[in-house]
Amino acid sequence: MANSTFSAPTDRAYDRDTHLWVKKDTTTGRLIVGIDALMLDTFGDLAYIQLPEVGTPIRRGDAIGSLEAAKMTSEIIAPVSGILIGVNEAVLQDPMKVNQDPYESGWLFAVDGTDWENERQHLVHDPAEIAAWMQAEAERMNAQQNLDA
Amino acid sequence: MTWRLITEDGVSAAYGLAADEAVTQRVGRDLSPQTVRLYTYRSHCALVGRFQTVENEVHLDYCRRHGIEVNRRPTGGGAIIMGADQLGVALMLARSDRTAYGRAREIMAQFSRGLLWALNELGIRAAFRRKNDLEVDCRKIAGLGLYRHPQGGLLFHASLLVDLDIPLMLRVLKTPFEKISDKQIRTVAERMTTVRRELGRAIEVAEVREAVARGFARAFELELTPGTFDADERQAIRELETRKYRNPEWIFQTADVPEAEGRAVLKTDGGLLDVRVSLAGRTIKAAYIRGDFFANEQAITDLEAHLRWHSSDPAAVRETVSRVYHQHRHDWSLISLSSLCEAIEQAIEHGAHHLNQSGEQPYGCFVTPARYHA
Repeated sequence: MANSTFSAPTDRAYDRDTHLWVKKDTTTGRLIVGIDALMLDTFGDLAYIQLPEVGTPIRRGDAIGSLEAAKMTSEIIAPVSGILIGVNEAVLQDPMKVNQDPYESGWLFAVDGTDWENERQHLVHDPAEIAAWMQAEAERMNAQQNLDA
Repeated sequence: MTWRLITEDGVSAAYGLAADEAVTQRVGRDLSPQTVRLYTYRSHCALVGRFQTVENEVHLDYCRRHGIEVNRRPTGGGAIIMGADQLGVALMLARSDRTAYGRAREIMAQFSRGLLWALNELGIRAAFRRKNDLEVDCRKIAGLGLYRHPQGGLLFHASLLVDLDIPLMLRVLKTPFEKISDKQIRTVAERMTTVRRELGRAIEVAEVREAVARGFARAFELELTPGTFDADERQAIRELETRKYRNPEWIFQTADVPEAEGRAVLKTDGGLLDVRVSLAGRTIKAAYIRGDFFANEQAITDLEAHLRWHSSDPAAVRETVSRVYHQHRHDWSLISLSSLCEAIEQAIEHGAHHLNQSGEQPYGCFVTPARYHA
């Protein structure tokens, strides 16, 4: 019977639907985007990631890339709007690095945000709320998987 | 609960794929009913997985000469051939609470239950195993794939082998072997099976399709209502077919993931091991274990299947090989675990050496314009 718990650092914000996280780099102001541990658990080891070219304008809610793990493909939905200003070269070379270190070296891409303060309000961003949200999501996942078992 | 049942035959590759994706998108937006589509393609077409590179998977010259369509699925996995004797199965569903957080493997296991019911009714004892395939005695009888649409739809794909022309498949799809021989055909036949082969009779595809429809109805305790695509759906399918599945930029997009073949031939106390691997970056796409030694064929195919779409990290490979080896300990005869690991690792190293010689890093990412997302 599954009974998973997942970490969720409180120094960033999380998209409720896609489980992508967004962290503002306080030095450069750029927004770093990655996948949280719960969603990675549903995928398993990532085999492929597709992202747009650096310089591409992106809009929150749009499908901007794809990934594949265990014969399941899924779109990557932009959690914020802006200009894509970088992709993680280490992850490009080895997608499983995302699984190994989702919150630090396994980040996906960086964005020069154009509406961050507004869009942040649509994400789970209150440190006091993040842990409770992730716990509720994990319980929802566990309940579903126990139901399916 | 009711799902719509749509049956079609002889569809083109572009139409077949566009219909699955376009309707899945509409189901996710609550514009179309949840649908199970059981259909066949016009013989024959070759469909590569979402992230594969066509030139690496398909003999394009042969396909062009013989009018074999080539296209790219939205779902993952490897290249396949489809035609009148391979039943395409597409479940186009809304992502409910039951599937939104499901692990890929668990979702595929859940949805494959309809196929298992059908095969069981026909008298075939199949099982969901390993890298998300349905197998009969370690032989693959159906391949599965999954695609989560960003607007909430979930597409479950399966190709059920009612029959299979193995020599044709080997002429269409690329393998690490240099030439098509009787030995190679036997090798594939030991790893795949079909409904007709298992039953020992020439069952019609229509009969299999009826069993599959009953299987889904029973497995999910629902009613299937025969139907067709409506005008809005047909319009959406046409648009996606034109924009994406008839667009060479989608079909022939190339991966930055460098691919390479690796081979190791190792003399051991138990016999000669000849191992070949196909690498995509740091992922093992396929492994083939042959040579001159005694071992149970199922032990070999089981290990090959476990290594498919597996990390090439040496520690991860050793762990998997060790686990699978011990499950078949007495089937490997005089081949030791250490020699098996050594041969596989050498083949991987050989492939990795080719990747490095190509001057490219083994990238796991490639870039295509975002407009191809539905």
